[in-house]
Amino acid sequence: MARKPGSSPMPKSPTIDHEVIRELARLLDETGLTEIAIEQDGVAVRVARHSGANASRARAAELPVAIPGVAAATAPLDPAQHPGVVASPMVGTAYRSPEPGAKPYVDVGSPVKAGETLLIIEAMKTMNQISAPRSGTVIQILIEDGHPVEYGEPLMIIE
Amino acid sequence: MFEKILIANRGEIALRVLRACKELGIATVAVHSTADEDAMHVRLADESVCIGPPPAKDSYLNIPALLAACEITGADAVHPGYGFLSENARFAEILADHNVHFIGPRPEHIRLMGDKIAAKREAKRLGIPTVPGSDGGVGSDAEARRMAREIGFPVIAKAAAGGGGRGMKVIRTEADLASALTVARAEAKAAFGDDTLYLEKYLERPRHVEIQVLGDGKGRAIHLGERDCSLQRRHQKVWEEGPSPALNTAERDTIGDTVAKAMREIKYLGVGTVEFLYDDGAFYFIEMNTRIQVEHPVTEMITDIDLVLEQIQVAAGNDLPFAQSNVKFNGHAIECRINAENAVSFRPSPGKIVHYHPPGGLGVRVDSAVYHGYAIPPFYDSLVGKLIVHGKTRGECLMRLRRALDEFVVDGIETTLPLFRALVEEKDIIDGDYHIHWLEEFLAQRSEASDSV
Repeated sequence: MARKPGSSPMPKSPTIDHEVIRELARLLDETGLTEIAIEQDGVAVRVARHSGANASRARAAELPVAIPGVAAATAPLDPAQHPGVVASPMVGTAYRSPEPGAKPYVDVGSPVKAGETLLIIEAMKTMNQISAPRSGTVIQILIEDGHPVEYGEPLMIIE
Repeated sequence: MFEKILIANRGEIALRVLRACKELGIATVAVHSTADEDAMHVRLADESVCIGPPPAKDSYLNIPALLAACEITGADAVHPGYGFLSENARFAEILADHNVHFIGPRPEHIRLMGDKIAAKREAKRLGIPTVPGSDGGVGSDAEARRMAREIGFPVIAKAAAGGGGRGMKVIRTEADLASALTVARAEAKAAFGDDTLYLEKYLERPRHVEIQVLGDGKGRAIHLGERDCSLQRRHQKVWEEGPSPALNTAERDTIGDTVAKAMREIKYLGVGTVEFLYDDGAFYFIEMNTRIQVEHPVTEMITDIDLVLEQIQVAAGNDLPFAQSNVKFNGHAIECRINAENAVSFRPSPGKIVHYHPPGGLGVRVDSAVYHGYAIPPFYDSLVGKLIVHGKTRGECLMRLRRALDEFVVDGIETTLPLFRALVEEKDIIDGDYHIHWLEEFLAQRSEASDSV
């Protein structure tokens, strides 16, 4: 959703911080790992090295790496283009839990089955359960609890 | 005054409303379908909310989505523009239930004027002249003859169950009456399953003249003069001008005062337009539109009154800031509705505008939401924009219009600009001598002429 400065707080469109990706790529070279993933402020970044010869090899263990002073960034690029994106079918307010204080329906890393509830979007006191369109793993959550969403807004990515 | 207005529309009127909101210092919310993400008013609004996919029923007509958008943005008023939900009384009521103001008339008046038979009955009650006719169906031929004599020939027999221009038969003399009615009844029965007919006076070549009104809902209402919208194609207005070349000051004052008085009596709130057929010095009410209209700029140019701004003011509960005596008419204005259509076949031409240069200068106004590089989506109406020109006299206005049309560049799509360039050269247009069939007759003649080349 587009908001200009001066209006009430709203999630801004995520900006791509190329520095994070460069930093991770450098770390990949230095450590010899084939994949590094980090999560910060609810946003996950993953950088992986692919080469034909290594395609059949098992993936290296994911190593959480904290890079000091790095601002939150998006990955891989525009989430709306990701094939696994779940986009909002309606306008309303997104809630990650069935009620305040309860556990969220899903977190990053949660496995989900098709039809399982991912979140709730509330409009005019009606709670609408948004279900997973396919089975897989939640690799990214793009909305903040209690924040407004518009039609078509990317909510989560399921791979 | 409202804090935040949600603009429940798109295209040029959404931009128009946004401009008035900004001038009043009111925050703006632009709602849009996915096809309108790049719309100019969406870019300029303080906030925007995507409310659905391209089809209007899923977006601009989607009441739950609009309500949800009001809820999440905290909008305290909705401006419905024209078309879409602007004359939907239920939408106005639902908004009221949710403590959101609908910028428009009260639902009861929207409903009243939306029912064409009830509107005509009410207009009669309020002393507004209507088309003389049988109030119900005609029974025997003898009854029909009596009514037709009262109305005055020529009359038109209409199928009560008809519509859309179908099931109508013009009867010119009493001698033709009996046989014409027999045929009309048979046709009505065959086409609509109901042979009930009613009679109305037939107006041969009327003009379409409409009166702009503004009321504050508290019993104060004024008229803002007329617009002549006779040039139409398939019942769509193409060229509108004010004042009407056919009216004199006395006629204008009389019909204007009649209409304003009626609006005061019903305590009308907001802007509205009372539409008439005008024939041989007499006015005949056809309907009332309870919304801001496409051609409102014509009135704005000659009265110097911002109709959308005034609409918002009275909706917010303010008194009408001027009396009838404060309304002055200066000069002449003409509006051309420019569509993304082939100027001859009128086939729609959506697509990307690769080069755009609108005309400018004194007395030239372009109300359009398109811009250089904008792609006109195929899902909605084909209006590119409105060119409105003002002059001290009708002659000066026509010269300025000719000049402005020559300067107007819209490349990449086909537009109806060539049609207007042709119209300004036509003698009847220059003389102001036209009626509601004129444009279609002109187009038919033109296509015959090109066929025989």
